[in-house]
Amino acid sequence: MHMNVARWRVGVTAAALLGLIGAACSTANAPTSSTGGNQSCKSASSLQAQLVQTWHRDQAELGVPQMAPPAQQICMVDTSKFKKPGPYHIAFASQGPTNSWAVEYDAALKHEAQTLGIDVLYASANGDAATQVQNLQDLLIQKPDALVVTPMGSAIEGQLHRYAQQGIPVVVCTGQLSDTQDFVTTVNRSYALQGSLWAEWVAKQIGYKGDVAMLSGIAGVPTAEYEYQAAKQVFARYPNIHIVTHQYDDWSPTKAKQVADTLAVNYPHLNAVWTDSGFSAIGVIQAYSAAHLPIPPVTGDTSNGFLRLAKQYNVTFATSPYPPEQSAKCLDAANQILQGKSVPSYIEYDAPVFTNKDVDKYFRPQCSDSLWIPAQLPDSVLKSLNLC
Amino acid sequence: MATAADRRVEEGTRRGWLGHGRELLRAGREPLASLAGVGLVLLAAAVFAPHFYSVQNLSNVVRQMGFLCVVALGQTFVLLVAGIDLSVGGLQGLAMVALAQITHGRDAALLPAIGFAFLAGAAVGLVNAALVVGRRVPPFVATFATFVLVEGLLLLWTGGAPSGSIPTGIQVLGAGSVGPIPVPSLIAAGLVLIAAFVLRRTGYGLFVYATGANRLAAAMSGLPTKRVIASTYVISALLAVLAGLMISGYAGYVDTYLTQSLNLDSIAAAIVGGTSLLGGRGGVFRTLAGVLLISVVVNFMVILNAGQAGQLLIEGLVIILAVLLQMRGRVER
Repeated sequence: MHMNVARWRVGVTAAALLGLIGAACSTANAPTSSTGGNQSCKSASSLQAQLVQTWHRDQAELGVPQMAPPAQQICMVDTSKFKKPGPYHIAFASQGPTNSWAVEYDAALKHEAQTLGIDVLYASANGDAATQVQNLQDLLIQKPDALVVTPMGSAIEGQLHRYAQQGIPVVVCTGQLSDTQDFVTTVNRSYALQGSLWAEWVAKQIGYKGDVAMLSGIAGVPTAEYEYQAAKQVFARYPNIHIVTHQYDDWSPTKAKQVADTLAVNYPHLNAVWTDSGFSAIGVIQAYSAAHLPIPPVTGDTSNGFLRLAKQYNVTFATSPYPPEQSAKCLDAANQILQGKSVPSYIEYDAPVFTNKDVDKYFRPQCSDSLWIPAQLPDSVLKSLNLC
Repeated sequence: MATAADRRVEEGTRRGWLGHGRELLRAGREPLASLAGVGLVLLAAAVFAPHFYSVQNLSNVVRQMGFLCVVALGQTFVLLVAGIDLSVGGLQGLAMVALAQITHGRDAALLPAIGFAFLAGAAVGLVNAALVVGRRVPPFVATFATFVLVEGLLLLWTGGAPSGSIPTGIQVLGAGSVGPIPVPSLIAAGLVLIAAFVLRRTGYGLFVYATGANRLAAAMSGLPTKRVIASTYVISALLAVLAGLMISGYAGYVDTYLTQSLNLDSIAAAIVGGTSLLGGRGGVFRTLAGVLLISVVVNFMVILNAGQAGQLLIEGLVIILAVLLQMRGRVER
């Protein structure tokens, strides 16, 4: 089953941003700012306007009020000093195949590398920041032309600055670091957008009043915390919405179900559950259905297993994926940097936003519950990963 | 005039009565402390969170206790011989992955998958035993190494993404109930009784305690200490696999994250109950008390909406208090 391509615009925003390079560069009087002294960065108001448009489009998709993204300067980074002839050897400091999302993530980058003819120097952090620090040291010795890194935590920032100091361009992939001024670009699906979008949908869904439970993944992990903060700010605007509890479930299906079991006992008539992941949403559906209670409207990112259960129990939901294929876009950015082409300092990765009304367009019944929707990889790759 | 021998007899008699009393108090201190902690939480729940006493919530608590209890029982056997088993989390992951990969969600393939999981678990237990007993590798290092090894093998097997689903036939082990009583708690209760009988009423149990209390003395007395120690690692591995199967039935999904947390939870439960890290002291009912305290505290914190920080603080304090009580008892002796 294929996606509704018209609605799914993965990569389109990024492409549009790149397409606007000319416009940005031709702004004769555009002030040249710096992203940290190392990168020459031309302010590009058109790119920021494009980001605002992306937010508004996604908000319109769910019919929620329009909000501007958090203040963030996006500019075009002059990468001419990194230009060199190919073939390229690009280091990829990855999270490692710790779960199915990460497996698709690695596979997407490797598939893109094959397409572009790039030699990838791969290192798996096994989900651990300390291991990643060691990985980064090992990769640096191999003198890569560029680095694509999936940050496991802020502890790696020192290592990344060493890369920058040695003239190796750094692409931060699917993560958010506090001090990115030395790095050429960051590719990500905005945490703030995901968190606030789901919160606005929940608020609208319950008529801006009622009891809401919030479930996050791992305490202290940026993905969980930034999305939670964004959602909390939205709920704070609606005085008749009561956040009855906020729990962490470590993105573990078992723990999610344990937490949801307790929710079902203490809040049997919740109006909605805001969650940041499909795992949590699965736990909520299982717990409330097992307790023979009405399943509250729920949010989260998009695994095939979540869609399967949501369809089975006719659950009202809003979802937006955090696509593993972002890694391919990161490699594209590194490739462009090495070709001396300017790139935006931040590339927002586009993803579909949909509700239960469109579940049939995205659910892939022939594929594993572990598949992350919308799964842009070719079917042959997904099959080789035992996901379809 | 009383001779020195008479005085010693008199003193011995006096100390005998008092000493027995003190010994009983000391022996019961840790489980009593756990149960007193449970009592406090139950009292606080009555005041602050009446929902705690709903049948459904109590059923949830007892179900969660079942999973932890099964793993902690195995851990207790290992702790009693002065060992530690850090591979139990990996074995639970192995059970889950085996179910998904072998059955692909088909109940027809359930028995072979379960058989494979137990066989693989026994093999890992034997590897632990061989390292600890045969090569004298410290248990902490040996079992951590096998944990890493099992995790690596699972990655190799699945490529990181286990394919297939958990068959519905296994759900009864984790999500089923007999009347109001969850199946996991029934399984755990049965295993507690069996383990208590084995440890208290059989020669093997005596060997376990003797080996843990003083391995050298036990060996010199002719006890098969190596076989005893080896057997505890196999028991622990098999119970970890069983817990993995039960949790698979509960969650319905392969949950590789869980493997990282259950190692420490199972050790904490046994220690909080009063089983010593140094071996030779403790038992299944103490572990049960520890499991009860941890499960009740965690549930109560969630109901109280204490937040992650509050939960971790309280859990940490509970473990520290339990260990302090143990240390005090040891100094007094």
